[in-house]
Amino acid sequence: MAYNVLIVDDSATMRALVRKVLKISGLDLGECFEGANGREALEILEKNWVDLVLSDLHMPEMDGAALVKALRQNNLWQTIPVVLITTEGRQEVLAPFFQDGIQGYIRKPFRPEDIREKLQSILGEAWVPHAGELEGCDF
Amino acid sequence: MLENLKAATFEVLETMFFIFPEGLEEAAGLFHGPGLRAWVPVEGPKNFRVGLTLPLTLAREMAANFLGLEKDEIPPEKMEDVVKETANMVAGSFLSKEQVPEAYNLKPPEALRLDLDSQDWQENSHHLLLAVEDAGLEVFLEKTK
Repeated sequence: MAYNVLIVDDSATMRALVRKVLKISGLDLGECFEGANGREALEILEKNWVDLVLSDLHMPEMDGAALVKALRQNNLWQTIPVVLITTEGRQEVLAPFFQDGIQGYIRKPFRPEDIREKLQSILGEAWVPHAGELEGCDF
Repeated sequence: MLENLKAATFEVLETMFFIFPEGLEEAAGLFHGPGLRAWVPVEGPKNFRVGLTLPLTLAREMAANFLGLEKDEIPPEKMEDVVKETANMVAGSFLSKEQVPEAYNLKPPEALRLDLDSQDWQENSHHLLLAVEDAGLEVFLEKTK
């Protein structure tokens, strides 16, 4: 089963980097959508099915916190796994997001292996064992 | 405080860019030509900003490493975006290391171009000067209104 992923970050270069890491990670990747903030993410979700959301926290217009709340309040989207990819590392700031049902977070700066390991723990069966060799990869 | 800023900078540059800066006395003499400054405003009980200044040559190298492209393939706007994201990551890492209370919030990064030859480069309690091969890299923590 190929997984459709939505990457939400106001930095186009960070979205490109995450997309690149996903491609080489071994995840059975289907469509990869991108949004620059929570509002754009919701617009994409209105038109497309997504199996996983990777979202930044601090974004203009609609931030990651508002996006997580919107997803959890929607019957169709409330079960989509959400992983935050964020510069935020303060546990007291991150704790409420776990109460809102996020599956985890990856702190920037990250190594490609950090993304692979986190997603593997969430989407275990989605992994393609022979694909994605990140050791020594200069993404 | 400066030690945590230095540690945050090293963590970001080494992890995301495979760049290994050094704290050298002669770093002040390594700021030349057109440059880029990016910073992240931090708002809370006190307002400040965390940022960095570097020559465009180094910014281009960082963007190439970050995006896996050749240096001559990097458009100017991508270079600026990468440096802003770098400032964002340094600021986030610094706040974590300092265990700054949650009342402090990171705002979207900002950036400007500047002529590095027209500035004075001195290390002090809030400005850290580093060397990345033959280029200078300033990291700063400044109070704002």
